[in-house]
Amino acid sequence: MFIDFFYKLKDVGIPVKPTAFLTLHRALDMGLVQSLGEFYTASRSILVKSERYFDLFDQVFAHHFEGAEMPDGEAFELDEMAKVMLEAWLQDPKTLAEAMGIDENKLRRMSPDELIDYFKERLKEQTGRHDGGGRWIGTGGTSPVGHSGYHPGGMRVGGVSRNRSALKVAMDRRYRDYALSGPLRQSMMGEALKRLRHLVPSGPRDQVNIDETLYQTMKNGGEIEIVFERSLKDRLNVILAIDNGGWSMEPYIPVVQTLFNHARSQFKVLETYFFHNTIYDYLWGDAARYKKPKRIDELAAADPATRLILVGDASMAPYELMATDGSIHIEERSGQPSIERLKFLARTFRHAVWLNPVPQHMWGYTRTIAAIAQIFAMFELSIDGLEKAIAHLMAR
Amino acid sequence: MTENSSVTRFTGAARYVLDPELADIVNISMALEMPLLLKGEPGTGKTMLAHAIAENLQMPLIVLNVKSSMKLVETLYQYDTLTRLNDSRFGDSKRDVSNIEEYIRMGKIGQAFTADQRTVLLIDEIDKADTDFQDDMLDVLDQMAFDIIEIDKTIRARHRPVFVITSNAKKDLSDPFLGRCNFHHIAFPDPKMMRKIVNVHFPQIDRQLAENTIAAFYRLRELEAVEKRPATRELLNWIRALNADPDFRPKDLAKGDVPYLGVLFKKSQDYQIAANAVRRRRLF
Repeated sequence: MFIDFFYKLKDVGIPVKPTAFLTLHRALDMGLVQSLGEFYTASRSILVKSERYFDLFDQVFAHHFEGAEMPDGEAFELDEMAKVMLEAWLQDPKTLAEAMGIDENKLRRMSPDELIDYFKERLKEQTGRHDGGGRWIGTGGTSPVGHSGYHPGGMRVGGVSRNRSALKVAMDRRYRDYALSGPLRQSMMGEALKRLRHLVPSGPRDQVNIDETLYQTMKNGGEIEIVFERSLKDRLNVILAIDNGGWSMEPYIPVVQTLFNHARSQFKVLETYFFHNTIYDYLWGDAARYKKPKRIDELAAADPATRLILVGDASMAPYELMATDGSIHIEERSGQPSIERLKFLARTFRHAVWLNPVPQHMWGYTRTIAAIAQIFAMFELSIDGLEKAIAHLMAR
Repeated sequence: MTENSSVTRFTGAARYVLDPELADIVNISMALEMPLLLKGEPGTGKTMLAHAIAENLQMPLIVLNVKSSMKLVETLYQYDTLTRLNDSRFGDSKRDVSNIEEYIRMGKIGQAFTADQRTVLLIDEIDKADTDFQDDMLDVLDQMAFDIIEIDKTIRARHRPVFVITSNAKKDLSDPFLGRCNFHHIAFPDPKMMRKIVNVHFPQIDRQLAENTIAAFYRLRELEAVEKRPATRELLNWIRALNADPDFRPKDLAKGDVPYLGVLFKKSQDYQIAANAVRRRRLF
């Protein structure tokens, strides 16, 4: 019973488990469910374990039992693609306009929302995926938009480029599963981060040391001598700086996010900042990098024993790192190139690492990775890399 | 349906406005003997639900407030070595020093297991503890039993407690743990529901006062950039404060005077934002 329903839930991406399905049947057998309304509450509370999926569940339920329209997965995909195209447009309006064969100025006059709509319209013209065809999105074809194509003004939609400077994500949505594979990684990250708990005695002497108490009591000829010791407290300060800007980090943000979620409960003092590509005069306390600026110079006053963990793909145009006016933000014009800022941070914090989500064997292909790896000890953002990074952080 | 389960049907409590959907979920969880995991914004009554179940079904409530450094064993039992040492030195207590069992003290989960009657066990804010805590708890939930290592004895639940577990939605719990629970997310009550809640707490409340405070409350909740938005608890305290003030008239709220903002906004930044909004924009 309701097997179709179960599989439909699974198909739309709600992580439903067979055991939960059996539990639901147990509830049915016990006569706990008398009406459709009760079936709704029962099946939702038993099958769905996170409010994130409630909405999806509602849609599937409505579809299955009341014939409502199925959630439109394709519309979502179009949305995502259109967004990618918008990003591309912001990066390089000319190429995109040429690729789509329309007037750049016409696009220029549109607001972002209009642009998204416009892109969606264009995307709808293509029904279904096609590789090697002549229409304008697909892979390996002659069309101007799509990846691995050879149209001279072509641009990339989907597919992964070696040097991370072309568009990704759109068609294949290969990173869609990050959210779902998250928990597995989360617990592993938690394991690795736990090693950062640098246990040193502090706080009041309020814990009884049983062994020592017994020993001292015996030594005392049986007169009780209670030995207290300090409770162990975490004294490690950690500054975590995450590159959350731009599309080049986009596929990694879920991974970084899991790391960061875990980090929050791990340390005594944890400050989290954000930056875009690399660090200039400011780090930002808010994810939008807008409201809470923090001057890099102020960090000089921080405890030098603070552990600094930077997370970023370190992939950018070389001038962003080397030029004195590399920052895209006009107010960041102190005349120091970013690379000097990074060196300053590396000098200020003896214990610093850079975690890079780009696989290590690819580092050689990007100049800025090599440059930054000379300043900070760089490790891969993987369990392995994390272990090494933490060993590095804890070294004296 | 067995007679027993109809007796223990949860129907709400005196000071708790029960959403019928939630009542169903509670009843199903009790019948299936599965823990109920509740998530939702602070102040949506997650903790209150456990109190309400206990009150309604006349079961004792045992509250386990989870702390970040907590180990599961502390919640099961504690071996009181110091008292034993003391007794062995002075020998003036009635306890038998050679019997370790007399020095075992039950923790909250242990108390729920050994209680004479079925209890409601509230495990509050389980997300505060690290993942080990949850993983360890899986065994206990599965077996409904735990071992006391010091005396090599297994404690089994005499009556399976009604588990209510709350989490503050910051991070998801581990999959195996979720698999063993039923889940519900309590949404923030809408103004209509809030009106009922207010009425339950203040049966005598002036109609105009209730309406104006609730309206003002929802507008204040919509302020942007506020870190901790006021919840039901704050609203109730606020009404209490306004009631206690002899100079206050409900009309003032509609005019834009919002006294006692400090009751609603507990963080100084939030307070500033709210105070500015009230002064500058004349929100109301």
